[in-house]
Amino acid sequence: MTSNKIEELIKKRQMENKKKKNQTPYGIGVTLLALVIYLALLNYNLRFSSFWIIGILIGVTMQRSRFCFAASFRDPIMVGSTSLLKAILIALIISTVGFFIIQYNTIEIHGLHLLENIPGQLKPVGLHTALGAILFGVGMVIAGGCASGTLMRIGEGYILQIVVLIGFIIGATMGARHFEFWDKILISKSKTIYIPKYLGLFPSLIIQLIVLVGLYFVADWFDKKNSIMSSM
Amino acid sequence: MAEYKLDCLFEACPIPLLKALKQLEKMSIGDVLIMHTDHNCSIKNVVEWTKKQGHYIDYIEISEGEWEIYIEKAR
Repeated sequence: MTSNKIEELIKKRQMENKKKKNQTPYGIGVTLLALVIYLALLNYNLRFSSFWIIGILIGVTMQRSRFCFAASFRDPIMVGSTSLLKAILIALIISTVGFFIIQYNTIEIHGLHLLENIPGQLKPVGLHTALGAILFGVGMVIAGGCASGTLMRIGEGYILQIVVLIGFIIGATMGARHFEFWDKILISKSKTIYIPKYLGLFPSLIIQLIVLVGLYFVADWFDKKNSIMSSM
Repeated sequence: MAEYKLDCLFEACPIPLLKALKQLEKMSIGDVLIMHTDHNCSIKNVVEWTKKQGHYIDYIEISEGEWEIYIEKAR
């Protein structure tokens, strides 16, 4: 949506603009380098090669789509737009189904007795979860990006985030150093809750999907409520 | 018609959007706001928000990694 006034201004701006440097050769060079490293890793270490290629693909997707976990949780509250939150919900729906398939296969073999055998991050939940979430949430809004968003923006040349990276390294190091303390007073006392253990794998899959789809519709409704159509 | 400039260089999300929001409130209909930013997320952010509010908007990349966002207040 643009107006004549804006078009005129932009035309004028484009005339006085000097030509930009062509970045295509750099792009081709870096892509080739990434492919060479991938091929080398294929022979040397299969695990590392998949880390390498999946990491690059996630990074490219995040950069091109301007996907941002910080914004997805901040924007609904701040400006009432939920497009990124909806994207996260869709991603969660897809990964729920994916994890169901992976965990179903494992449980078929091992049974549901040992939580350690089930793939995924099954960790104790308790007060420390809420504390960490608040700290991380405040931090990522002030810093302007979560961990992956910060790394992605450094990659595209946004220098400010290097300051964030330094803080991120300091924080992560201190967290690792003090982990024993938190483990002693909170984490080891909390229980690991794996809902399929109580409800069965299929019912918990259905419940999780219903909750996520419900949240999606709430987010969609919230977005429309805050747009111009309803306020006029 | 007046033109306003807004310097948002080195400002991370959500500061550019908040600055634009405050500036737009002060402007009258038909005025144009020119935002200068180097944060590519604010393009998506600001463009989406402005469209939802019903203002006119467009942007250009003026040099590598620097954009100018043009917003005309429509209501």
